Amino acid sequence: MHLGLDTDELNSCVACGLCLPHCPTFVITGSDTESPRGRIALMRAVQDDDAPITDELVRSIETCVQCRGCETACPSAVPFGRLMEGTRAALADSGRITPRWQRWALSMLRRRRLVLAGSTLLALAIRLRLVPTRRLGLPARMPLRRPALRTSGSDVWLFTGCVMDAWQRDVHLAVQRVLEAAGVGVEPTGATAPCCGALHIHAGLEADTKDLARQVMAGLSSDDRPILVDAAGCGAMLKDYGHLLDSDEARAFSARVFDVHEWLAGHLDDLQARQEVVPLPLTVAVQDPCHLRHVQRAHQAVTEVLRPFVAEVVNLDDDGLCCGAGGAYSMMEPKLARAIRERKTASVARSGASVVASANPGCSLHLAAVGLDVLHPLELVDQALSSVGTQANPNTVGVSAGGLGAAEAGT
Amino acid sequence: MVSVLTATRRVFNPLRRNHNEASASASNAVADTADSDDTALVADLIDALGADRVRADSAARYLASHDASIYREGNAGPICFPESTEHVVACVEAAVRHGRAISPRGAGTGLAGGAAPLGRPVVVSTTRMNKLLSVDVENGIAWVQPGIVNLDLSRALAPHGVHFAPDPSSQSVCTIGGNVANNSGGPHCLAYGVTSAHVLAIEAVLSDASVVTLGDLTAEPAGYDLRGAFVGSEGMCGVATAVAVRLTPNPPAVRTMMLAFQDVSHAASTVSAIIAAGIVPAAIEMMDQRCVAAVEDFAQAGYPKDAAAVLLVEVDGPAGGVAIAGEKIAEIAEANQAATVRTAADEDERARLWKGRKSAFGAVANVMPDYYLHDTVVPRTKLVEVLERIYEIVDRHDLIVLNVFHAGDGNLHPLLAYDSRVPGVRERVHAAGREIIELSLDMGGALTGEHGIGVEKRDYMNRMFSAVDLQQQGLLRSSFDPYCRMNPGKVLPSSHSCSDISALRASDAAGVWG
Repeated sequence: MHLGLDTDELNSCVACGLCLPHCPTFVITGSDTESPRGRIALMRAVQDDDAPITDELVRSIETCVQCRGCETACPSAVPFGRLMEGTRAALADSGRITPRWQRWALSMLRRRRLVLAGSTLLALAIRLRLVPTRRLGLPARMPLRRPALRTSGSDVWLFTGCVMDAWQRDVHLAVQRVLEAAGVGVEPTGATAPCCGALHIHAGLEADTKDLARQVMAGLSSDDRPILVDAAGCGAMLKDYGHLLDSDEARAFSARVFDVHEWLAGHLDDLQARQEVVPLPLTVAVQDPCHLRHVQRAHQAVTEVLRPFVAEVVNLDDDGLCCGAGGAYSMMEPKLARAIRERKTASVARSGASVVASANPGCSLHLAAVGLDVLHPLELVDQALSSVGTQANPNTVGVSAGGLGAAEAGT
Repeated sequence: MVSVLTATRRVFNPLRRNHNEASASASNAVADTADSDDTALVADLIDALGADRVRADSAARYLASHDASIYREGNAGPICFPESTEHVVACVEAAVRHGRAISPRGAGTGLAGGAAPLGRPVVVSTTRMNKLLSVDVENGIAWVQPGIVNLDLSRALAPHGVHFAPDPSSQSVCTIGGNVANNSGGPHCLAYGVTSAHVLAIEAVLSDASVVTLGDLTAEPAGYDLRGAFVGSEGMCGVATAVAVRLTPNPPAVRTMMLAFQDVSHAASTVSAIIAAGIVPAAIEMMDQRCVAAVEDFAQAGYPKDAAAVLLVEVDGPAGGVAIAGEKIAEIAEANQAATVRTAADEDERARLWKGRKSAFGAVANVMPDYYLHDTVVPRTKLVEVLERIYEIVDRHDLIVLNVFHAGDGNLHPLLAYDSRVPGVRERVHAAGREIIELSLDMGGALTGEHGIGVEKRDYMNRMFSAVDLQQQGLLRSSFDPYCRMNPGKVLPSSHSCSDISALRASDAAGVWG
């Protein structure tokens, strides 16, 4: 079966194996079937030699978290993410992956009101203990009410997305306050750009992703303001529209997209000049979301932005190995996702930090589910700024001796 | 036992990558029959190990059939993922019951087909035997499981101020078991010695499923050095299940220097002059221009892309001596017309300099999608002449070569880069490879420095050793494994090893290039 993969890209792997220790599934199973070079070899066998698509081969493709840690480890710059997305698209087209219920669920994400209302219902069900949150990898507590998004100016867009806006709007609000503290007027995208399509492309739904990309671009192309993103997965997706749609318009759009830390790192002086800063008395471990570190390659900005605002920033010792969240992966492959997460939590424990800063909502939910105190990096910056302000912001979280209560962060 | 192995046909896996052989439908039919042959064996293995430690599907077997070499004729049976010595014993017992051979596999980063299983054996993957069992810092010894990754071991030892000295380029991936099997080297083996100098004892499962310990932890073990025979035996003596490694203290000071030259011969004469001056650097590595160009974009090491050759020289030891040696090396380099002499200012710069060197093989795809790598050793004094003749050979065959090698001990890694989709290119690569080997041997060199013989270099053994030599090597192997069950078909050419291996080989196509 031809997978529609670019022959040269497919042949750019020499199977040296340097990717193996950077693959979260290989380090768990130790099997080449769950490794980047193994997956590429299988893609080749299918596309070049017409090997049959067995159930085990499909499993090999499905178990990939799509963290793309293998890409930064690859001396030959094999575009693994593209190969994996292409393979999944071909398998989804032929009905081998992403069953109908998943497609239906993903198609709902663009319907913003439904996502918000559904999330409120879910939050209620969780409070009433009707949902086995632990088993499903859901947060132990979700917000019942959300403060409204508001526009404070027109310097930048703040991309709010789908699930994150419903589940973690507090993060958006904290990010907005930080940007405003730097003198930047912010317009949240809200209904203008409902969903980036990252979960869709991961599931192999390429046509749906392209539809969503066009919708987002249509909503945000009336001007050329920077588009700031506080979710690493969404940021990576928006930056990939140029490649996805292969048009000058899309490339121009992607060039306007910045991870919010990446952008703030260039405006740190503004932030520090306007306000006296007393660092929070915390040791914070920075967890690099894969789509920030391996895809956008902008993870160092998080440390840079965070450093002036907390007592100590520590980096984890696991070479940026994935935490196992992977968008919907933690729900689709719970067993592997948990095994992968154990390595991350062990690394956090070794770091001695009391709080984890994560710039991606999926990672923070996945890590918070095992009791870690996880906050968005800019939530910490926001707290440091508001702690010296004239009055405490009611939406921020109090700092306690033992760190911050992540479970309470959403209420 | 022998008859069953003899009867084992080389089966076409439905997923087997093959450019010029049977149609997919025909290969499926063969594979289906073979799968049913495995049923009882697989059931036995699952009984002994549990279902999540055994894979027998075509995708898993296809991937376990290859290592990082270009050898494509491997043919794996079921793959086991043992976690203990007892598990390995169970794997061997099951294989024996069903008349199958056993092939051990670490990370599968070998470059000579040593881990490519022949004759559909039970593959024993050690990737889950990756524990650091015990550390005795005082006596400088650690016991490890064979699947522990080389770099993970050194990182785990870092708090004790010690490390495992052999550092192959693949050290972030390769396992200690694989290092033992290949007697692996690495840049720093110039000063510290190769794996055999760093392994004190080995617990291994032999082909009759017995567990033995070879060597011991004392300074002068009594009797023959069976540990020494096992190191470098490429999985043909047994499966190592625990290894006692020697711990090397981290040097108090390290200086890493990058020297760039406009002429390869100036780089080579610098190497000789450094050694002649009585300096023993921890490492001296050379890369030629094409290699530098391939790795620089990835590693951002700051290698000058226009230099004909780049040398990485590292000295370590007490700070005073390191400083003096560093200055002396800079003087020698300048006297030999070095265009650049740079000393890494900090650990970060040092790491980047090494990252470039250590990703060289993997970076080849920036030039061409396939490569054929040799590993010959030549006397250091002949480096310039050998390099010039390698360039001449490669030009004559209209190929591309990247040279990256351990200059300090004359261990060459000429890497022939090619695109296997181009008709006729394999024959040219094969011919050029043979000429390079002949050249190295004619210069008084050796077939392999550290990558092993595996299957790729097996048929060159006759060129290096006499019939008597090979026969004695076969006898040594037989004393460990009289049944030839362990990784059969490797290292020794057929006429000098067990009869079943000759049968195995007879069922193979025309060697490496099929």
